[in-house]
Amino acid sequence: MSRNLIGIRHLDKTQIEDLLALSAEFKLRILEEKAVPKMDNQVVGMLFFENSTRTRVSFEQAAHYLSMKTANFSSGSSSMSKGETLKDTILTLRYERLNGLVMRHRMSGAASLAARHFGGPVLNAGDGQHEHPTQALGDALTIIERKGDLNGLTVAIVGDVEHSRVARSNAWLLSKMGADVRFVGPRTLIPPHAMMLPGKVYYDLATGIEGADVIICLRLQKERMGEGLLSSIGEYAAMYQVNKDTLHYAARDCLVMHPGPLNRGIEVDDTAADGVQSVITAQIENGVFVRMASLYWVFGGDFAESGKKKSKKRA
Amino acid sequence: MRTLLKNGRILDPSQELDVVGSVLIEDDQIVEFGDVRDLADIDEVYDCTGLWITPGLVDPHVHLREPGATHKETIVSGTQAAAAGGYTTICCMPNTTPPLDNPALVDFILDRAASPEAGGVFVAPVGALTRGMKGQELADLAAMKRAGIVAASDEEFPIQNALIMTQAMEFCVQLDLPILAHCEDTSLSKGGSMNEGAMSAMLGLKGIPRSAEEIAIMRNCLLSLHTGCQLHIMRVSTWGAVEMVRQAKFLGAPVTCEICPAHFAFTDEAVGDFDTNFKLLPPLRTQVDVDLLLQALNDGTIDCIASDHSPHASHEVDVPFEEAPFGSSQLESAVGVTLTFLTHKGILSPLETIRKLSTKPAQILRLDAGTLRPGETPVAQVCVIDPDCEWTFDRNRTFSKSKNTPFHGMPLRGKALLTFNGGEIYRDALFEDSRYSIQ
Repeated sequence: MSRNLIGIRHLDKTQIEDLLALSAEFKLRILEEKAVPKMDNQVVGMLFFENSTRTRVSFEQAAHYLSMKTANFSSGSSSMSKGETLKDTILTLRYERLNGLVMRHRMSGAASLAARHFGGPVLNAGDGQHEHPTQALGDALTIIERKGDLNGLTVAIVGDVEHSRVARSNAWLLSKMGADVRFVGPRTLIPPHAMMLPGKVYYDLATGIEGADVIICLRLQKERMGEGLLSSIGEYAAMYQVNKDTLHYAARDCLVMHPGPLNRGIEVDDTAADGVQSVITAQIENGVFVRMASLYWVFGGDFAESGKKKSKKRA
Repeated sequence: MRTLLKNGRILDPSQELDVVGSVLIEDDQIVEFGDVRDLADIDEVYDCTGLWITPGLVDPHVHLREPGATHKETIVSGTQAAAAGGYTTICCMPNTTPPLDNPALVDFILDRAASPEAGGVFVAPVGALTRGMKGQELADLAAMKRAGIVAASDEEFPIQNALIMTQAMEFCVQLDLPILAHCEDTSLSKGGSMNEGAMSAMLGLKGIPRSAEEIAIMRNCLLSLHTGCQLHIMRVSTWGAVEMVRQAKFLGAPVTCEICPAHFAFTDEAVGDFDTNFKLLPPLRTQVDVDLLLQALNDGTIDCIASDHSPHASHEVDVPFEEAPFGSSQLESAVGVTLTFLTHKGILSPLETIRKLSTKPAQILRLDAGTLRPGETPVAQVCVIDPDCEWTFDRNRTFSKSKNTPFHGMPLRGKALLTFNGGEIYRDALFEDSRYSIQ
């Protein structure tokens, strides 16, 4: 039976564990050049209404590993630019008999709407400021590989939480898996009611990352300046930049993460992004494996069917 | 032609009347009510035992969409929906295309509303306050008043400039014309699509802060106090908003306000998984707001209930949340929702319910409506409501052209069964049942 993956918010702990176990299994098999499931009868639509080369390539690579075929769709050259509604675009792809959709859209909730009309598996590759579930899964896998477990870790998410789907998905995933989540950033970039998201809010970097096991830096979009949300980029960097100096507040073995693309010199500098604590390249690599697992999972596969018995017992 | 509405509970807030009795309509006028003795030559009898007989309902806030957006609603379909909702008088809003900012359009609307295919309710047009609703220069208010507008409003495009609002108020004092104000500081609400709060934070939607509404209400109340202009605040949604209105009334400003049923029936949690049927302006707020709105309904700070009937076509609503228009169709659910959420929960007595649905809006807009007293309305305006009728609201069985309702599938208790405006303009199928048979 097919499923949708719209957001981490909708998943329970067992489902997250399943997805992470699948991801680890696929990673192992790819690295050891062992067989992975062949899904060569499936055609997946890659709908990127918002440009994102990195996420798209990551999904395509994941699909290729699973022998899936992809149908590319870019908003610029499509009927969307001729005024077609999202609903009609989705219905068109449904009746062109695509088997699944991977969708990125600039509006929150667009993935839910697509799932309502598509009738097959829909995988959210980022909808507005709502969720980006595969990013959070990749980040979780990266953390688990280094820390063994998410339970009990302190993870600080630093930067523009308000406008970040990465922050939301990560917060849901980490908190559901027992980590202690902190949001760190200026008052203008943390939603006024962020206390309803699963995390504690800190407006000061030093206290926010104090003793943290993981820091997830968020990309600061420069257009926030024009909206009056920041006084200056320089001042933001001075207050919130993660670098070798500010890293002293965190735990000694704290991981430095970033979903990319990086604004070097703003939210993070070279000393942190390229330092020994940085796992940014591992995040990118793991992104492919969690997307494999997600594609496999939305088409109805689960860990038990992936060819290997689960080594880890469920709680 | 003599019609007897027999043995119902007569609720007429204009006379503080709550008695069991009958109402006799001869031709198009009420001739007697209460203990009707003249029972000779009755042509029709409606047995109203257990039912309420009330003045025809008055809705101060309806979007009929014509001219310009007749795919959403027309004057014909909108007035039919109103009749089915128990209304005999509705005020139509000026945010049409083109906007209702000149007397010729007022004539057009009144003509269409009076056409035989229309629903038979009186339509009282509300004219634009500024030309094109652009908030810059005043519209032809005097000429529109002569043509028949009952109030002026810029509706969803509220005047941001305080000086222009002051001048508009001064002008309306002179013309003796109430201003209906949707209160929103658009510098604060810009880009927002739901209440700023826990839900918006979770869904990743830009929020509309409560301050956007409250600041505009405070400003408009102060300007009303200082100019003496009669101000009616449309659809309040926050506890702060009603607190501002309470203060303004205390200070003696000629201010009234309304609420739309969705705002006391739901909180922002109803948005759920980006359901655009719950995208309203102002947005649905929180439980604290609902609790204090109920209190303000109970203590009279909120004067009346307006449907804020805002029809939109399905294809306009089935889009990503941020793209969807604000508003929902509520004419045919308003009575059921009001009785279910207010009357049956003890927030409003039956008499207060009818005051807020009929008498008070008529008084605010100085309409000859909202009363059963013979001769005080141009024709007999009567609504018969079954307060205990249990039914499920079904958007596929409505007169409105649009189906964008937050109440679809909701069980309700209370329904308008019969509407008279001169003659009978609506009779519910339930009245055909044996229970309500014509004798």
